[in-house]
Amino acid sequence: MIETVAIVESNRELSPGYRILILDFHVDVLVRPGQFAMLKAHSSLEPLLRRALAVYKVYGPRRLGFLYQVLGRGTETLAQLAPGGEVEILLPLGNSWPIDASADKRALVVAGGIGSASVLMLCEDLRAARSNAHLFLGAASEGAIIGCGVNDFRALEIPMSITTDDGSLGERGFVTAPLERYLRDGVGSASSIYACGPWVMMKRVAEIAARFEVRCIVSLEAPMGCGFGVCVGCVVGVKSAGQSGYDSYRRVCTDGPIFDADTISWEVNAMH
Amino acid sequence: MSKTPEHDPRLSVEIAGIRFNNPVIGASGTFGYGLEFAELIDLNRIGGFVTKGLSAKPLPGNPPARIVETHGGMLNAIGLQNIGARAFIEEKLPQLRGYDTRIIANVFGYSDDDYIEAITILNDGDGISAYELNISCPNVKEGGIVIGNSPDAAARLTERAKRASVRPLIVKLSPNVTDVTVLARAIAQAGADSLSLINTIVGMSVDVIKRRPRLNYGTGGLSGPAIRPIAVRMVYEVAGAVDLPIIGIGGIACASDALEFIIAGATAIQIGTANYYDPQVTIKTIEGLSRHCASQRIAKINDLTHSISRN
Repeated sequence: MIETVAIVESNRELSPGYRILILDFHVDVLVRPGQFAMLKAHSSLEPLLRRALAVYKVYGPRRLGFLYQVLGRGTETLAQLAPGGEVEILLPLGNSWPIDASADKRALVVAGGIGSASVLMLCEDLRAARSNAHLFLGAASEGAIIGCGVNDFRALEIPMSITTDDGSLGERGFVTAPLERYLRDGVGSASSIYACGPWVMMKRVAEIAARFEVRCIVSLEAPMGCGFGVCVGCVVGVKSAGQSGYDSYRRVCTDGPIFDADTISWEVNAMH
Repeated sequence: MSKTPEHDPRLSVEIAGIRFNNPVIGASGTFGYGLEFAELIDLNRIGGFVTKGLSAKPLPGNPPARIVETHGGMLNAIGLQNIGARAFIEEKLPQLRGYDTRIIANVFGYSDDDYIEAITILNDGDGISAYELNISCPNVKEGGIVIGNSPDAAARLTERAKRASVRPLIVKLSPNVTDVTVLARAIAQAGADSLSLINTIVGMSVDVIKRRPRLNYGTGGLSGPAIRPIAVRMVYEVAGAVDLPIIGIGGIACASDALEFIIAGATAIQIGTANYYDPQVTIKTIEGLSRHCASQRIAKINDLTHSISRN
């Protein structure tokens, strides 16, 4: 875990509302796929709290990219960062995608909206491990699909199914539809499903995975105060082991953000 | 962290017979069990820290959403999720004993008996310097603020806790009262060794689309820079009302903020929410206090305590 000030190399808009922030560090940063950072503009007073962003891409040991959607006060402030600007950042945080190269003969990756930011490095690793991966990428529209980094995924040459809510690109509807079809009609059985996206999407993916008896791993998101385990604000409900129920909640930041879908109490929505 | 840092002797302070290397203490609920910060700062450099509220038995806390950011602050309704007093002693304390810093155990219960049970368990914990009695948590339906809002109930629990405790007792006051001095006097008379204030201020934030509170619990405790002037005012009032050392808390994020509390009446201060967005804030504050002592030719930081003059 490193706390430092990084320099903005670029902060480019991919499509309206979606940007990629590339930061330069003065130290080497070792990041595993699925890990995240807490960041905000240096010395800014508002908003107060840093924002949690998944590390999207490692360009070099001192050069990292963050793909984000401009959604609120925090990301609006980030969107205004110009090259040369300074960012306060704490990273790497959280656990990482549990890739088992020998077991993952056929890995399915499901990304909904900006959840794609957490799975590009996962796809890179699956490809490097020669896993037979397939990506299901869903977003609101063609513009959102571009904003969610579709061209970076295309460059990996992983087979891909695209859905959009409005039908402007790929199949109209939710990303879970082609996933379900794939599992029902697909060639061979899947060994793992890795998913990151809106709560309802992951809940549905977890149900589908359970039905087809496929291991399902999800990366969760929650509003975070600190990102390193002290505020206990970012919890998710888990299936409690004890009678007392005192172990009913886990921190997304340090116990996650990646969890086995079977352990999550999906009826307790942590991503309000 | 074997090398002991050099401390600025001007910053050392004493509360209820306990010496702190400096007046900067990590506040309960924002400093975990201390160990979470070991990778980010040298724990030997801070005056001390207060643990997350510990209860006799582990508590699950409230369902999410538990936090929401507001302008200049945040609301939380964590609900005192904690590992329990016994687990703290067995799992965390052994790892903390190597550090030259003061460990204050924050104690919570749903009833007076729960508080006493937690204190009794913690009395076995070697390395704890003092207790902070949490009678001001706004995010639980029993205990906490229910006791802290009643001078009689607060005094009764303070008296029992003092008798049960083998260590100095700090009582953490709620700001959610009409006159904080009434509460402070009652708790002082009941035998508290020190008062810490303020805990969070009860607030609410509403989701205008869903037309419901943003926090699952409904209300939450407001913290952060937004509450600082209220906290400074209350420290000032309490300093004029009781003759006990005061630990000032509320939105402190730098040395200048800390000095406001000290001048208004505090002997030491706690830093809370700022730890989330600036994990090195305690160290920066200590360094800033040293610089202030140098530039203002102050021999002892506590020469400033309650040095405020009215215009």
